[in-house]
Amino acid sequence: MRFLWPALAVLGFFSPRLLGGGALVYGTLTVIAIFAVMAYGLDIILSDLGEVSLAHTAFFAAGAYAASLLAVDHDWGAWATLGGAIVVSAVLALALGLLTLRTREFAFSLVTYAASVVCAVVAANWSALGGSDGVVGVPPLDLSVGAVKLVAGTNVQLWPYAYGLLLLTMFLVSRFRRSRLGQAALMVHMNPRLAVMSGLDPQRVRLLVFLLSAPISAVAGWLYAYQRAYVGPDLFDTYFLVLMLTAVILVGRRILVAPALGTALLVGQTSFASLGSYGDKVLLGVVLLTILCLFPGGLASIRPRRPRPDRAALRTMERS
Amino acid sequence: MNVLQQTINGLIIGHAFALVAVGWTLLLGSARLVNFGHGQMYMVGAFVAWWVMRTTGLPYLLAVPCAVLAGAALGALMQKLMLRLTLQQNLVSLMIATLGFGQLLEGAAGFAWGPRPQTLASPLQAIELRWDDVWLTAQDLLLVVATIAVFAALHLVLKRTVFGSAVRMVAEDPKLTQLGGLDVARVYMGIFAFEGAAVAFAACLVAPRTPILTSMGFEQVIMTFVVVVLGGIGSVGGSYAAGLGLGLFTAFFGALVSPAYTTAAVFVVLIAVMVLRPGELASAGGFAR
Repeated sequence: MRFLWPALAVLGFFSPRLLGGGALVYGTLTVIAIFAVMAYGLDIILSDLGEVSLAHTAFFAAGAYAASLLAVDHDWGAWATLGGAIVVSAVLALALGLLTLRTREFAFSLVTYAASVVCAVVAANWSALGGSDGVVGVPPLDLSVGAVKLVAGTNVQLWPYAYGLLLLTMFLVSRFRRSRLGQAALMVHMNPRLAVMSGLDPQRVRLLVFLLSAPISAVAGWLYAYQRAYVGPDLFDTYFLVLMLTAVILVGRRILVAPALGTALLVGQTSFASLGSYGDKVLLGVVLLTILCLFPGGLASIRPRRPRPDRAALRTMERS
Repeated sequence: MNVLQQTINGLIIGHAFALVAVGWTLLLGSARLVNFGHGQMYMVGAFVAWWVMRTTGLPYLLAVPCAVLAGAALGALMQKLMLRLTLQQNLVSLMIATLGFGQLLEGAAGFAWGPRPQTLASPLQAIELRWDDVWLTAQDLLLVVATIAVFAALHLVLKRTVFGSAVRMVAEDPKLTQLGGLDVARVYMGIFAFEGAAVAFAACLVAPRTPILTSMGFEQVIMTFVVVVLGGIGSVGGSYAAGLGLGLFTAFFGALVSPAYTTAAVFVVLIAVMVLRPGELASAGGFAR
């Protein structure tokens, strides 16, 4: 078991080659890795804190906008734009986190949704953010340090970075779940009164988890800006929200690989087995409804039933 | 700026907001269900009316009941799918399930009616009523009258009938209502069917003002969301008042400041209200007031 995870991680790295290695395969897997990172940001809110944040599309878009504007208008390097994306999303998350401190359940979801609508309207209309045209001409990703040249212009070149970011995010999420903050988040979610009696401040815990989750989605947006070379108001599309939510619940909550697997299934289907844009929508809707209405625990909860104990054998045992 | 004309525009838009919101208001108040499929249900209502008129040649006023029936059926389907989650009050899963339901409707509507914009033609849209420099269409007048009628009828049903008191009981405590011997599933069936029928009816009256698209989705009814929440979760009178207030705000903000930022301004107001008074919004205490 000790070598299982490292072996899987290495296998994952070579998965584009194992799947044939074409441009479509590299493109799809790179996008899967980026969207999976975006979904992990939401995952720790949904699975650990038990709330539905609808603002994570805004964090994702904030990362992408920060990266593209700083790179195109101010010629910042990729490391600097990465910092910019994290700072912008953290500020946004702090503001929204403070605003939503006292809201729970659907009130929380409604406020986060309202916030993402405001962000979408501002992005689509404010010329400083590119307005409805968005920001075009994002340069290739250049993470060179000193003499070490690390430039990625194509999906084949971007794949190691996207995959590395995904592994790093998974490591971070697994550390979070074992950390004090992760344990506290779960306690605040499962039993808020017990959490208070144990000396925890639920509002502080919620704010900290929110502050941790936003930059994760924003970093995904940062890489997406370089991958697509274009950033526009379409980043606020419901598609990203539905994709994120479905990816998180599809396989099962609080399972480390679940959001990555869920994203792979969803994006893989649209790339390799697309039913057309309408067919894909119908399928996504059916999958969501089937999982939520029939298997609320996700795909991981569907296991073959154990055979019933043999009554005759039990009676024999009792007699003996 | 013509103040009287803007006021009339605001009142008409406000009635449209309120009518589109009425089904959802009841649904949110009684089942605590945030329905992100509301926009797609609106779209299906408008398209069913358009499709009935095109294929059967029925006039607009007869196509409306067909769309309302289809909407009620859609609501009933929604209840069948989401009953278990509603009874468990699993609000998180419910919200995501409605997003899935919306995707399903949008994809299916795309298959059925294609991507091209269509026009739901109402003969009343062409009839203009004028006094001095103020004008409105007969369709606008019908919209206002119908909205007042629907709100009055809903108010009376909730306050004066046995079914209305059953709905209010379910809103307070579904489990206790079940123990009291009422069939909660049937009450929910009525509520969901009303949501579907009401939004289809609203679509038939509001959609002739703009072209309809199968992809119009939630953005088309985004103001409804604000009406439902600002009115006080589930408050019928509150959502009517919120609809009117929002309509007037939209008309004057659009004319005086900027039409592009109207939605953002409205949502900032919404955030402010929700943050300052979360307690009232999070409970169903305001239901059916």
